[in-house]
Amino acid sequence: MSEQKTGMKRREFLVAGTAGIVALTAFGTGSAQAQVAGGEVIVVQGSNPPSLDAMATSSGASRNITMNVYETLYGFDEKVNPMPILAQGVDISADGLTYNFKLRQGVKFHNGDEMKASDVKASMERYRKVGATANLLDPVDSFEVVNDHEIIFHMKAKTPTFLEAFSSPRAPAVVIPEEDAAAEAGKTSLVGTGPYKITDYVPDSHVTLEKFADYTQDTRYDGPDGFGGKKTAYFDKATFRVMPEPGAQVAALEAGEVDIVETMPVPAARRLANSPDIAVQQNLQWAFGTFILNMNAPPTDNPKFREAIQVALNMEEVMGIASEGLFGLNGGWAYPDSPYDVGDIGAVDYYNKADIPRAQALLKEAGYTNAPFSLLTDNSIPFHGKAAVVIAEQLKAAGINVVINQVDWPTALNVRLQDTGWNGWTLTMGIEPYLGPVAITATLTGKRPHFVKNDPELEALYKELISGETPEIRKATFAKIQKRLYEFFGIVKLGDTGQMQGLRANIENFKMFRFPRVYDIWRKS
Amino acid sequence: MILFVARRLLSAIPVLFVVSLMTFLIMWLVPGDISAEIGGADATPAQIEQIRQQFGLDRPLLERAVQWYGNLLHGNLGYSYLLDRSVVAAVFERLPVTLPLAALGLVLATLMGTLLGILAAVRHNSWLDQSAMVAALIGLSIPDFWFGLVLVILFGVTLGWLPTGGYVSFTDDFFGWVRCMTLPTLTLAFTQMGVIARMTRSSMLDVLDQDYVRTARAKGMRRGTIIFKHALRNALVPIVTVVGLTAGVLLSGAVVIESVFSLPGVGRLIVGSIQRRDFPIIQGGLLVTAIVFVFVNLAVDILYGWLDPRVRDDR
Repeated sequence: MSEQKTGMKRREFLVAGTAGIVALTAFGTGSAQAQVAGGEVIVVQGSNPPSLDAMATSSGASRNITMNVYETLYGFDEKVNPMPILAQGVDISADGLTYNFKLRQGVKFHNGDEMKASDVKASMERYRKVGATANLLDPVDSFEVVNDHEIIFHMKAKTPTFLEAFSSPRAPAVVIPEEDAAAEAGKTSLVGTGPYKITDYVPDSHVTLEKFADYTQDTRYDGPDGFGGKKTAYFDKATFRVMPEPGAQVAALEAGEVDIVETMPVPAARRLANSPDIAVQQNLQWAFGTFILNMNAPPTDNPKFREAIQVALNMEEVMGIASEGLFGLNGGWAYPDSPYDVGDIGAVDYYNKADIPRAQALLKEAGYTNAPFSLLTDNSIPFHGKAAVVIAEQLKAAGINVVINQVDWPTALNVRLQDTGWNGWTLTMGIEPYLGPVAITATLTGKRPHFVKNDPELEALYKELISGETPEIRKATFAKIQKRLYEFFGIVKLGDTGQMQGLRANIENFKMFRFPRVYDIWRKS
Repeated sequence: MILFVARRLLSAIPVLFVVSLMTFLIMWLVPGDISAEIGGADATPAQIEQIRQQFGLDRPLLERAVQWYGNLLHGNLGYSYLLDRSVVAAVFERLPVTLPLAALGLVLATLMGTLLGILAAVRHNSWLDQSAMVAALIGLSIPDFWFGLVLVILFGVTLGWLPTGGYVSFTDDFFGWVRCMTLPTLTLAFTQMGVIARMTRSSMLDVLDQDYVRTARAKGMRRGTIIFKHALRNALVPIVTVVGLTAGVLLSGAVVIESVFSLPGVGRLIVGSIQRRDFPIIQGGLLVTAIVFVFVNLAVDILYGWLDPRVRDDR
């Protein structure tokens, strides 16, 4: 269905059936409310954290917990700009080869020791060994401790995007005590500098955090901001419960046994929209729905065939079903109104066309002879499997011989690493779009891009992107990247998907974010 | 009897060997490994290889098998990739959840199933028989996750009498433990009692037709004595078989019930480990499951001998 048919603008968010769901909780208006200290808040998530060693995992289930416990030198603020957290600030030399970080003084670890530059150095060196995204420190040649509160990062070469990459929360480069520097992945003492400390972990059951009484607030700010700011722990205890069954999560929220459900099923959210006891918050810019094509295996090694897939798809149908109605139609590779939003450059003639005759003409041009198209998907993430079914039906209508190969998540990841044996793969990108153009493009370039085979032009553009001196220059490069993605069709952007969170109405000041912040929230007395 | 038990235990050794070998080979054949959990969707082949090396997954199959069996002979089932504890510790810390749940569920299912079966047999072809069998069929047919969620909505959300899920150790809070185990136990018992009820009915119908039952009736023996002392005891052998099989399944973890009620039991441990490809836990957990089945079967065989001396003599 084209945009004209629906009568909607390209990026108009479709929130079918969710119009009545609004965030009932006030956002960031803590000063106008009476904060109440004490008690316990219980947060529910569906997956067990694979590790509580923040450096060692990029899992969202871990990040939900660890970002309340550990802190980084720099992190992202609410608008995804790098901001100092444990650092007082950074002086970058004119040649871009030294980053001189001054540390905040008097910051205490959970073990009572003061954080010093030697701890930072030890943490960074450990990150190089066990960090799940250790390559973010690749541009750094060495770390030099100047004094207890100053450390210099000596760079191998000028890297204008380093601070952005270093601020990434994906597998954050957190600061831990020097004593933990030699610990293998997952075997630290779990000591950090955050407002909460880990006191109990029972796998598949819960993680208990307790308020860190000696937490050193960052008084430069008025309140929390993104991953940093002035954090205040009001609850004495925060428990993250692992409940795999979504229906049970919602039942527990309705019964008042838990306070926050990290991922609220959309139908349940709609049902509870008018409940006086439950508040629902939503974020429509949570992830990208994508469809990756294997440029190495026939028939998807043919650009005309890939173009046929792009024009055949009806994104509105795919996204509507896969996301249960919580989505935005967006052919751009940045969220609407985000700093790197470059509009619909490249997408105008290709996104959400559902143009079967055009697709059939392209298939003919490609010389397609009914070869099987293996569509890889998994049953672990509901969006993936549902999107695959709709895509398969649409491609069959265009005359493509689609065979769905649905497996579990580890198997899907194993299969997609093979050069052949699959043609299309449904994948949601959660953290990359949040982090911005560099993170997105990194997955599409390098030794092993998602679509298997490199596109030399995209590689060159990625290099241009990471060496861009200013955000304006990088944005201009990103526009070229987006245009290029609509020229060789290695990956199809399906749309933006949203996320819903549910909470008891008596939890105040909670604002939905990339992880559930259990600080600066309290229970109404 | 001692000789019989010893012989059965010895015969379990090849069974356990084959189970462990099959598990090991299946884990080797199955695509994907722990690198998927750790590396995620964006991991490059180099990162995947680094993670595989870290956990020794790049070593040849034979080398890994020799190490696995070597450790096994020393009573070492290995170390979890992700849980930071030994497999034995991981399994044993889940048993206090799974064992009481299985035991309570089994006792309740057996009581309900046997009584329902007896009632149906004694009132054969009456409305009571039909009602009891309909109840048994419902128990057999209803998916346990659905029935569990219905109980949660009714008793947890609507009435607010019982918790919707979660686990409290009975050493921490006994009444809290009772409350959180009630709904899972009821769900488990209701969904398991159907097969016991049907087997009891069928077995009792056979026995109630026997001459000695007729004789007992003719002698004027009390009905209750005939049913519970004479008929039921002779009908017990097939019932015990079914109960034994149910016990094996429950003791190895009622996965769905544990998931619906968020109970950190053995079933969830094994299923979670399969999803994460935590091979040591899967191998160790399945071996423990096989051991449970062997011992339950042994107990059932011993019970056969106790219930029916002819079986004992045949041995």
